[in-house]
Amino acid sequence: MTRLERHAGTIGVVAFLLLWETAARLGWRNPAIMPAPSEAALAALTTIPPGVLAAHVATSLGRVLAGFALGAAAGVALGIAAGWYRPVALVCRPVVEILRPIPPLAWIPVAIVWFGLGEPSKIFVIFLGTFFPVFTAAARGMASIPPVILRAARSMDVDGLRLLAKVAVPAAMPDIATGLRIGFGLGFGVLVAAELIAAERGMGHLVMEARQLGQLGISVFGIFLIGIVNLVADHQLAAAIRRTVGRWHRF
Amino acid sequence: MAAAIEISGLAKSFAHDPGPPVLGAVDLGIEENEFVVLLGRSGCGKTTLLNLVAGLETPSAGRILVGGTPVTGPGGGKGMVFQQGALFPWLTARRNIAFAARNRGVASAEADRLADELLALVGLAGAGHKYPFELSGGMQQRVAIARALALDPKILLMDEPFGALDEITRNEMQDELLRVWAQRRKTVVFVTHSIWEGLILADRILVMAPRPGRFVLERRIDLPRPRRRSDPALIALYDEIWACLRGDA
Amino acid sequence: MRARAAEILVPLAVLAAFLGTWEYAAAAGWLRPIRFPPPSRLAGSFVDLAFHGFPEGITIWVHAAITVQRILAGHALALALAIPLGLLIGSHALLDRMTAPVVAFCRSVATLSLLPLALVWFGTGEGAKIFLIGYGCFWVMLSATIAAVKLVDPVLIRAARTMDTGGWAIFLRVVLPATLPRLLSGARIALGVGFMVIVGAEMIGTIRGLGSLIMEARTFYRTDITMVGMLCIGAFGLAAMAALEWLEARLVPWQARAEAQTR
Repeated sequence: MTRLERHAGTIGVVAFLLLWETAARLGWRNPAIMPAPSEAALAALTTIPPGVLAAHVATSLGRVLAGFALGAAAGVALGIAAGWYRPVALVCRPVVEILRPIPPLAWIPVAIVWFGLGEPSKIFVIFLGTFFPVFTAAARGMASIPPVILRAARSMDVDGLRLLAKVAVPAAMPDIATGLRIGFGLGFGVLVAAELIAAERGMGHLVMEARQLGQLGISVFGIFLIGIVNLVADHQLAAAIRRTVGRWHRF
Repeated sequence: MAAAIEISGLAKSFAHDPGPPVLGAVDLGIEENEFVVLLGRSGCGKTTLLNLVAGLETPSAGRILVGGTPVTGPGGGKGMVFQQGALFPWLTARRNIAFAARNRGVASAEADRLADELLALVGLAGAGHKYPFELSGGMQQRVAIARALALDPKILLMDEPFGALDEITRNEMQDELLRVWAQRRKTVVFVTHSIWEGLILADRILVMAPRPGRFVLERRIDLPRPRRRSDPALIALYDEIWACLRGDA
Repeated sequence: MRARAAEILVPLAVLAAFLGTWEYAAAAGWLRPIRFPPPSRLAGSFVDLAFHGFPEGITIWVHAAITVQRILAGHALALALAIPLGLLIGSHALLDRMTAPVVAFCRSVATLSLLPLALVWFGTGEGAKIFLIGYGCFWVMLSATIAAVKLVDPVLIRAARTMDTGGWAIFLRVVLPATLPRLLSGARIALGVGFMVIVGAEMIGTIRGLGSLIMEARTFYRTDITMVGMLCIGAFGLAAMAALEWLEARLVPWQARAEAQTR
């Protein structure tokens, strides 16, 4: 690998930022409409105290983690049950299949009717965003365990709950892990939308409020913040998966 | 000698499958510590027969006695080795073997000790910490044999265990299996579709034909092991079995 | 045969039981109809929406047509840009290395967070919505295209070389067909993203489209209409996916067969 190749990623990022910066500074775009990255960062860091910024991030993360935890727990549990016990599948599937195609954001109005404008409605929508992909992945994972694995277990006289807990669930873990990552990504996207529409804090709110105040630089900064936080969170999740399931499975 | 396995009038057909039964009414007696090879093309019922003995499937008719008692399900001193891919990928080699031992009530520490002993027996001492995907195909099947032995079975049922291996590895594994079998005498029922594999391994070869699955040729091989492929007696047997297999095409 | 009948009858029975319980609970006063309008009420609302519309005059069909139009416009625009760019990046390793972090980052930016910018750039009209859908679809499609090119089996290219095919001919007759299955599944995923984004994009600054329908209905405490709208979005999304799956089976029959074999 040449030096150019090794640093290609960094060069790409720097080139991207420089291109944007020059474009904005040379006035190809009206700066009131498209601020340069440096101006955006400056505007945000000088006007918003770091504590407030941190609070926005913390609020958003708290919401997404709560919704994700609930959605993942419910999705994994129900998905495993539906993928393993046929009666559960017959009962769960029809309801899930009808609700699954509804985009999570479409639940926002109903969520507000059911839970009001506070935290529960946001967490509910994030919960839905996470639940469906995790449920689907877990059910598919359980259904696609190689038959020879199950036969091997049964040949050792393993059956019932022990077969489920010691063999089937571990065998489905790679699929479940993939589902968790997809579910987190969706939950995060839903979070931002929920915060745009109704919130007093959080990164989505920061972006929306800045626009209403005409501080587009802060909006741009907020968008960057959302991207970075999402990237870091996804990276953490991926690393956790690599440390556990990744020790015995190549994704 | 007492019969280790006694099969009488055994038949199997599947509900959703019309046509002749997968396994016709077959009779077979296998002596203790005998190495029996079931040979035939795909669909001749040899794996079904093995699964019935293992207790993984229930017969449509007839009965199977293992050590004098009827088979009602898995367990009860029957170890099974499958084609590649049947190790639990989330467990290390040692834990895969210990899983089988723990399963028959062996305490954790004792199971680990047994696993290490069996790893050494199959020539994998020191590879216990590896996950299946880190092992070659041949090594995976060594672990699979060790896992089956960890059940401390009276009989060992092997379902084309070397079918997915390249020929070089396969020949090595055959020698390896015979070496292990010499140390831990077991009754072995071994399913394969390789004629040479059968000739190298078996005390007795049973050639099967499909629909209904039945025995069409039975040959006892009394030659001492290790056997040479150039042995004229084996070559004559090869020709005879090949003619029999080709005839039922 | 009996098993087959159970496959159909049990889910239907479950659904009937679900709807029946809901209906009964509303009639008995356990559920407040303003929050959980009973199924019978939803059916009525659907008929109402189909003939009179909400707000008055804009029927569900108009809402749906507008939403679908926006999605298709954004989706088409994204595909038109992402496929050529993706083919270019995917076939040049250095370019791929340079762009990978930027692509990963842009994908991580939740599309709807761009809503404020879109409003400034394009106003509250069609432009902003199509931009947002386009943005969401673009990065998904770009990643899918890059991956598709990189995953072309080198054996295919070597095989083509032995047949004295070179340069452009390899690209057109080997690489493109080999990427087609992944491109199509990428397009399908991108369309799904379009359906996600549109709902949020329509919730602000418009009264036409399914997203605005469900939001508007809420402000008027018409939960029944919100729910009917949700179900319609789901149904249209499902129909669009099915259409693309059908197209996939038509365009890459070899892939469908290969998948069936490995299963």
